[in-house]
Amino acid sequence: MQGQLALLQRELWEHRSIYIVPIVVAVVMTLAALTGQVSINGMEHVDIGIVGASNMPDNARAAVLSGIMIGLSTTFVFSMWILTIFYALDSLYAERKDRSILFWRSMPSTDLETVLSKLLTAMLVIPLVTFAMILVTHLAVLLFASVWVAARGGSGLTLIWGSVPFFDNWTATLIFVLALPLWLSPFIGWFLFVSAFTKRSPFLTAFLPIAILPMLENMLFDTAVFAEAFFVRSIKMPLFINPGTMERLFEEGDGFALLADAQLSLLGLMDLGGFLTNPGLWLGLIVCGLFTAAAIYMRRYRDDS
Amino acid sequence: MTSLVSARNVSKNYGDLRAVDDVSFDIEKGCITGLIGPNGAGKTTLLKALLGLTDCQGSLLVLGLDPFRQRKELMQNICFIADVAILPRWIRVYQLLDFVEAVHSHFSREKAEALLANTKIPAKAKVRELSKGMVTQLHLSIITAIDAKLLILDEPTLGLDIIFRKDFYSNLLSDYFDEERTIIITTHQVEEIENLLTNIMFINNGRIVLDASMDALPEQYVELLASGENAERARKLNPIFERDVFGKKVLTFEGISREQLTGLGELRTPDIADLFVAKIKGVTA
Repeated sequence: MQGQLALLQRELWEHRSIYIVPIVVAVVMTLAALTGQVSINGMEHVDIGIVGASNMPDNARAAVLSGIMIGLSTTFVFSMWILTIFYALDSLYAERKDRSILFWRSMPSTDLETVLSKLLTAMLVIPLVTFAMILVTHLAVLLFASVWVAARGGSGLTLIWGSVPFFDNWTATLIFVLALPLWLSPFIGWFLFVSAFTKRSPFLTAFLPIAILPMLENMLFDTAVFAEAFFVRSIKMPLFINPGTMERLFEEGDGFALLADAQLSLLGLMDLGGFLTNPGLWLGLIVCGLFTAAAIYMRRYRDDS
Repeated sequence: MTSLVSARNVSKNYGDLRAVDDVSFDIEKGCITGLIGPNGAGKTTLLKALLGLTDCQGSLLVLGLDPFRQRKELMQNICFIADVAILPRWIRVYQLLDFVEAVHSHFSREKAEALLANTKIPAKAKVRELSKGMVTQLHLSIITAIDAKLLILDEPTLGLDIIFRKDFYSNLLSDYFDEERTIIITTHQVEEIENLLTNIMFINNGRIVLDASMDALPEQYVELLASGENAERARKLNPIFERDVFGKKVLTFEGISREQLTGLGELRTPDIADLFVAKIKGVTA
């Protein structure tokens, strides 16, 4: 256990982007929100001041605030996934490139423990760090909004802090950032495997097959099994009650209607039980497990000399 | 008593290349064994097999463990320094100590810090900011602070200047080595470790061509400096190698008593470097 913690600690030392990227996103998003540059759907460029307008109906204000929070979270989720791709591709490649793998393997940690620490970092540490920075950003932006309201004689406490279902929003966000890597785990497993075996350019090695396989399949068999699989995996995470929920949330106007229908409850839009019992999720996790096992095998048996 | 390392018919192939070819040897506790061989002789492969970094055929036991299958247990009791590039360049000195402390049950942080206090290595420095010599000092300090039974050094002083090399070996002897510990070392700079070694192994083309204790060398090997007729007569005794030095012949003999050569010229025990050349070139010639 202590050994696993040390291995996770090592990942944070070696890949400082795990926390630097979310911090940079947090700073940028906070500044963007302060200058009214956060664009949320249904309203181009929302000036934070709008939400403080006392003539705004409470539910509309709450919808706008929820929308801002969702918009901020979404940016973090995108950056998180890009970070995860780069992290996973580098995690077993960098130590081979700089030959420090000889040092790591002279320590009493098994290849299984080491590769698992990298999988855990991608699946758990990166999402949790991202989630923490989402919370900080939400708080910073809402704090600014309430100061703005208070400066104009309104009550930030009721107008801002009182109108948002924080617990619901944050719980849903946490579920989302943890569910995403689970759903995309076959990609993460594939990236770890590529990182463990490739001699050069892990990025190209990982993405060429993803680009070429569907094309080849289409040319040879005129079918689209791979294309479909990759596409469904990338776009349609079955975490929501209705399959189209994710798209609708980000459609102009529609997003607010959806939020209003659900009485601002994001949790109400989610179907966690359905997600956890989705065969596609488990199939993906099995694929991830196979790739991870292959990565462990490579680290153990590969001999680079 | 069982040996610390016991190899029986160990082989390792890379495709068609037989890097280690059916070698058998034992290494006892408290020895400093020099493993000497030309480039590509199989030294590093053999060390990798000992460290469990690569699988091999035959029976290989290190501290009674199968190195490849029980690497984690083995690494509690083995340390390893390859040429200095292997410490991760991004890591800070204190992070390295943190990590080793967490994973190594036999590591004494106090001892490592005390050793580092005698160097110019700052605790907050990154490895990439240190000179090559300092990285080796750092690695040796950490390893000295691990109470391990076996230390394996693969070209540990490659690329270091003479001062660092001398310090490395004197620290190795004064801080690390005692009768409970065992060292296996490979290097091309044989002269520098000659006085350190208790045992020596030569390896060539994947085979062990010499495995002896240093004490036994004078009995087994003798060098004769002779010229003219004496050299001709000596040649009949089948020297394993012959070379010219300042117009005289130097003939190296194996298993010939010194009495047989008396009167033919000056006799001496070959130093390791000369013996190495004689064994390797003599065999292949």
